[in-house]
Amino acid sequence: MIRSKITGLAALGATAALTLAACGGSGGSSGSNSSSTSTSYGQGLTSIINPSNTPSSGTLTFDLSNTPDSTDYQNTYYAFMWNFVRLYSMQLLTYKSCPGACGEQLVPQLATGPGVPSNNDTVWTYHIKPNVKFENGHTVTSADVKYGVERTFAKSVLPNGPSYYQVLLKDNKYPGPYTDRAKNVMGLTSVTTPNATTIQFHLSQPFADFDYVVAIPQSTPVEPAWDTGKYGGANFQLHPESTGPYEFQSYTLNKQITLVKNPNWNASTDTEAKQLVNKIVVNLNVNANTVDNNLMSNYADIDMAGTGVQTAARSKILTQPSLKGLADDPISGFLRFAYINTKVIPNVHCREAIEYAANKTSIQDAWGGPVVGGDIASTVIPPTVIGYQKFDLFNALSQPGGDIAAAKQQLKLCGKPSGFTTGLAYRTDRPQEVAAAQALQASLQQVGIKANLQGYLSGKYYTDFAGAPAYVHAHDLGISQGGWGPDWPDGYGFLDELSNGNTIVPAGNTNISEINDKSINSLFATAAGQNNTAARTAIWPQIDKKIMGMAAILPEVYQKVLLYRNPNVTNVYFDRPFGMYNYAVLGLK
Amino acid sequence: MITFIIRRLLVSVLLLLLVSLITFAIFFLIPRLAGQTSYSLAAQYVGRNPIPSQIRAIEIKLGLNEPIWVQYGRFVKGIVFGYTYSSGPSRTYCPPPCLGYSWRSQQPVWPQLTSNIPVTLSLAAGAAVIWLVSGVAIGVVSALKRGTIFDRLSMGTALMGVSLPIFFTGQIALLLFSFKWQIFNVQYVGITQNPLLWAKALVLPWITLAFLYSALYARLTRSGMLETMNEDYIRTARAKGLPERTVIIKHGLRAALTPILTIFGLDLGLLVGGAVLTEYTFSLHGLGLFTIQAIGNSDLPEIMGVVLLAAFFIVIANLIVDVLYAVVDPRVRH
Repeated sequence: MIRSKITGLAALGATAALTLAACGGSGGSSGSNSSSTSTSYGQGLTSIINPSNTPSSGTLTFDLSNTPDSTDYQNTYYAFMWNFVRLYSMQLLTYKSCPGACGEQLVPQLATGPGVPSNNDTVWTYHIKPNVKFENGHTVTSADVKYGVERTFAKSVLPNGPSYYQVLLKDNKYPGPYTDRAKNVMGLTSVTTPNATTIQFHLSQPFADFDYVVAIPQSTPVEPAWDTGKYGGANFQLHPESTGPYEFQSYTLNKQITLVKNPNWNASTDTEAKQLVNKIVVNLNVNANTVDNNLMSNYADIDMAGTGVQTAARSKILTQPSLKGLADDPISGFLRFAYINTKVIPNVHCREAIEYAANKTSIQDAWGGPVVGGDIASTVIPPTVIGYQKFDLFNALSQPGGDIAAAKQQLKLCGKPSGFTTGLAYRTDRPQEVAAAQALQASLQQVGIKANLQGYLSGKYYTDFAGAPAYVHAHDLGISQGGWGPDWPDGYGFLDELSNGNTIVPAGNTNISEINDKSINSLFATAAGQNNTAARTAIWPQIDKKIMGMAAILPEVYQKVLLYRNPNVTNVYFDRPFGMYNYAVLGLK
Repeated sequence: MITFIIRRLLVSVLLLLLVSLITFAIFFLIPRLAGQTSYSLAAQYVGRNPIPSQIRAIEIKLGLNEPIWVQYGRFVKGIVFGYTYSSGPSRTYCPPPCLGYSWRSQQPVWPQLTSNIPVTLSLAAGAAVIWLVSGVAIGVVSALKRGTIFDRLSMGTALMGVSLPIFFTGQIALLLFSFKWQIFNVQYVGITQNPLLWAKALVLPWITLAFLYSALYARLTRSGMLETMNEDYIRTARAKGLPERTVIIKHGLRAALTPILTIFGLDLGLLVGGAVLTEYTFSLHGLGLFTIQAIGNSDLPEIMGVVLLAAFFIVIANLIVDVLYAVVDPRVRH
């Protein structure tokens, strides 16, 4: 999932906002803050704040500092949208609505149970609940789920979503339902519907994590008739057909979304979502600092991006106990790290020298410090992801200031005792990443490794520069700053795109280290065919250790964010799979 | 006079065509000359970890694989005749002036632009009235009371207004009047929906924007007035025994306002094209905020659209100023 980015202009206002933070007083006269609560800092990480099933006639207001990539559940890859679409959609499976590790469990939503694999785990069968309705009152059938999957193949019309179905299903040449509609609607042969409540996915090879794939919003059912005319294809985003507790009332592009109650939604068939308010309004393109102030002044209820408050609000919240009690600072599940390219720096000892020499404390400070920047990382898999196992191969935790002696030793083994020169790529429009790159450069300098900073705009970072291996080789980019959040919270979701050899592509490459190790590839293949969850989970730390053993990734911090919860909102808690509060269950006091 | 206006209009059309050509070259041609391929360009408009077929599909859909001149021709054709886009199961006609099809939102650019114009117009018009009235008035009084405390105070304030960036004064205004005292909640409402709420939502942006410009105009008016009031014809007017008010307003201010009018036309044209910082600070969904979003998304058709629209407004504002000039000074027509 793609975490929302703060635009460069947010930084523009940061200076002013910082200066003004002190002028802000005690948070003003807002009703929210004056009505002091008894909640404590971080309480939302492990328990539900203001638990309630009481409906309210109010309007729940979300503010968003940018815009969704799409409101079409088959065409979105933003983390906050995967969370938000659950308000107007149901998937075959979803994540259990509960705080902590409990929330990482997959549970049936539209389906009656988890997938049943057969035929050497290449056929996955799901049965659909019989009485689930669309917003127009029509009953959801397996054919509607199949049509939803078919839409994900129409990449020229719906380009944003992930490509799991194209990669995993047998007939990956299927063009989608929009060309030659008479032939292609229901023309995807690798998804079959033996009856109205049964759907089968035929994979080209075993894939044990398939339940996670059908929990992605792309498995939302769609009626073919809805996907035509005014709301067809690219325009579907203007009014996605709802199966969730709310439905679209209006959507003014780039400005505002309004949802109202879906009268045909039934709480008994959808236990993971709630319908507690009359209306939900999403204000788009709101200045990031204004979002924070709106939250604290009770003009808004939720910061939809879920990436934490800005610098000005951060200092205000952390210094005022009344506000601090309304905040949480979770590990978001996102890793900040540096790729160390195995082709540009082929000698493992040279790469290990980088791992040892990096001053993790100064890099952590660059990311915002231990409270809101993140915890110093020593593994690729973060602690909130299934498969995490703590280890510290390069003394990141025991010597966070850098192990200079070990680094020099590795340089000798590498045959370059006085160091070497390489490029260090980073994104210029991300101030913290710039600072992290500079901190890394300074710490490497101590052992004679000269890292030449090479800044690029984030829009083309993966397509043209760091994510284009030919460019990386030609420009000697041995190190590239990066960040990663998983599509689902287990080792496959986290590691595959970073370290599986078959993911290396000429443009848009996310395996920037160019890890193509037989033993790692083999472990991924083993995991794909391993149905036993415990056995599969045991594979992820093995891959993690191999990546670290290759010194192909320098983990920097397990990202933490500072989230503020409006005390008027009910059922608030941090939801691990999405790295933010769970939007599907919110209500108002 | 009519010939003059027609001549200016024709020049304006040519100018807009030139602007479109240059903008197109900047965003479409230069990246290619720098080595960017249509494939890598298309890769920016798909989700994370795209498979190659996904990128190819977008490359073809957006016409990026076609020669640059074909793409430009299609763009100009769309402006003149409109264009039909495929939205999947159906085809959508984008009537002229169709300024392209957004690569991010997959919607025609023109309706998105027009939906933002009322916000920007509301902001620019209200602020312009405030700054013109206050700026000129302060400038005149300062000039007439040169060296007094009023003059020093007003010019000091004007210096502050020019020096302080809008994102700073705007944040202060928001923090005090919106969040601390909760007098103005800046949630824009259309003037036709509720004129009172419309005005209430715009008070802070108007004042913030006008603070900058009125400071500038006060200084300009002051220096213009000081220069004019020392002219021989002012002395002659006084010698003729004209009342001081007539001397100041009819002879002094009128002459001093001529350069102000020119600058006002340009400023207003620029603002109507998008008051970027003000709209961003106050989260007003006008052309300025639309521009930021288009740039952030690297949405080239949207950027093209907003540049052309802004250029159009500036050209029109210049045209009006030229016409007004011609009215004031007939020599300009020749």
